[in-house]
Amino acid sequence: MTTAKSARGQLEERVDRFVQWSFRDYRPVKPRGPKVINDSLLGNQYFSRHEVAVIDSPILQRLKRIKQTGLVYQVYPSATHSRFEHSLGTATIAERCLFAIQERAFVEWGKPIANFDRTKGDLAHLRMAAMLHDVGHGLCSHASEQIYELLSDLREFKQDERYAKNAPGEILSHLIITSATFRSWFEEYVKRDCQADLDLKLIGELVLGRHPDKGRYFLAQIVSSPYDADKLDYIARDSYYCGLALTVDLARFYSMISTAEQNGHRVLVLRSYVPLEQILFSKMTLFGSVYHHQKAKCLDNMLRATVQHISENARECKIKLDGAEISFADPVEYLYITDDEFFNQIQPLGDQFVRRMISRFRKRDLFARCLEISRRTVTRKSWESFGRKHLLDLADDLDSLDEAERKIRSALPDKVKRDCDRGEVLLSVPKRPNLKTDFAFVQTSPKAGIDTIEKFFPVEQWTEAYAHNKWRSYVYAPREHATAVRDAAAAVLKEEFRIEVDLGLSNENCYQE
Amino acid sequence: MATSVRSYPMPDDILTAILELARREKGADRLAFRGHDDELQSVFAELSKDPKRSLLRLFVFSDSGPRPYSPTLNDSVSKLQLAGFLGRQNPDYEVVFTTTAARDYYETVLSNIFSDDEKNQLSEIAKVFLSHIRSV
Repeated sequence: MTTAKSARGQLEERVDRFVQWSFRDYRPVKPRGPKVINDSLLGNQYFSRHEVAVIDSPILQRLKRIKQTGLVYQVYPSATHSRFEHSLGTATIAERCLFAIQERAFVEWGKPIANFDRTKGDLAHLRMAAMLHDVGHGLCSHASEQIYELLSDLREFKQDERYAKNAPGEILSHLIITSATFRSWFEEYVKRDCQADLDLKLIGELVLGRHPDKGRYFLAQIVSSPYDADKLDYIARDSYYCGLALTVDLARFYSMISTAEQNGHRVLVLRSYVPLEQILFSKMTLFGSVYHHQKAKCLDNMLRATVQHISENARECKIKLDGAEISFADPVEYLYITDDEFFNQIQPLGDQFVRRMISRFRKRDLFARCLEISRRTVTRKSWESFGRKHLLDLADDLDSLDEAERKIRSALPDKVKRDCDRGEVLLSVPKRPNLKTDFAFVQTSPKAGIDTIEKFFPVEQWTEAYAHNKWRSYVYAPREHATAVRDAAAAVLKEEFRIEVDLGLSNENCYQE
Repeated sequence: MATSVRSYPMPDDILTAILELARREKGADRLAFRGHDDELQSVFAELSKDPKRSLLRLFVFSDSGPRPYSPTLNDSVSKLQLAGFLGRQNPDYEVVFTTTAARDYYETVLSNIFSDDEKNQLSEIAKVFLSHIRSV
């Protein structure tokens, strides 16, 4: 008797098919030796021979075609850095963290804490996990992650305590790393040809922030935790390429990092909370200035409308790419197509709507912001009612968001409605900035107690301050329909959500004819 | 409010219901308690251990690390702060308090979503929750 495969099993199979597709015409060449790769942010980075084999593989090269900050380069033109350089940088920072911990271990306890061989043991696994931690990113990075995380395929994973702390992209990275096809390639070309003694299962666990040995849990935290190498790299890199003068004092951070025993686990601790305060402050600033910038949110939502249209009109719009057919029906389909392929196809893509949207992206002909929903623009009485909760629910439920947008379009005058496509009325409801995904520990000296970061400064206050002062929801539409969409949206928000927007205040920041 | 009334609860709806029912149990105008993230995580991890409290399954706790942690719980608290259902008191923002918007939301929306069995379960959780927190 056969039983139906679980959604999880099916997703694993689809990921493996994607890895097979990625390696379809790849002819590996044995790397001659190690390489020095120069990085604008971190300087010279040294990669061992087996790491070069992985860097040269399609699974990592693909990341060159995915921008680190999605569509943000349309707002900050120099933010064209890719997931590829971030992945290499994360490996370098991970090693520097481990080196700093080792130095401190010698000073404080007079003995080493980890194995420092590049081809086997702690450092080798740590570097490889850091290099591969983002291979599960797809089209426009987090812009598409926000869409596919709400699809049902990943829900089964998120109900599993193993994956509770992980973002959808991390889960996909784990599935790619542990897929049969990648494992087989890795065994032959990395382990056998380059003589690296690496356990891919352990690397997959590290990417999830896990380690089977509790005494080495801090290694998993270097890859995934509130102050991991990923964050240290992307905060510095994103702010550098956006031209924002944010400070992550890496040298200071390395001098403060150590480990301590907590409930049988050896965990990362900081000897001072100041570096963590810097990280959180910079992250908060990046949310306000970059990730939640009103134009960036407009672009994210234009991408959502385009992808949604392709998904709903798969017969006419599906993308054919070297034997793969993509209609964004499940999270894995977002892996096949990168930013370069999606926006720069020589052959026209999809139907008239899709082609029009792609043309808008290419020309930076963005929709206009026509309504602002925020503490500043919403009347006090309705802001303090529970209507705001209904609005926020839309960020967690694509169907309800879709329904709300349809209602706004339905409320348009017939003449406007005829010329305004379903995908041209966009309601942006940003999620809360995730400042914290796990405990962050501070221990001021080896003999002091271990406290969580909240004991030193109020993380919750920052979340609340962001919510009150910076969070904004917007309605976007093509310029020619902006006024009509604004009025329709204001009416629907009042009727359906009990949210009354003061149009005079909203107009101060929005497009007006 | 056709758009906004869902037939299923989200994790933050469960949290709102527990806090509102705890307020009623306490017989106070508002519920105020000491609740830094680490304390709330510990309380909910403890409450979730009882399999009869099936509604708490939405708060999945990670099995890795020195202490159980549920990002869903952390995110729900952030969402309720942003929704204006929860406030935090100066100067250290440790004291969490519920607002009238949370009360109205339970009465108008959530009480229609939950079945009687679920309401009984939520009331039981709210009582135990009260015994675990440090009320102010």
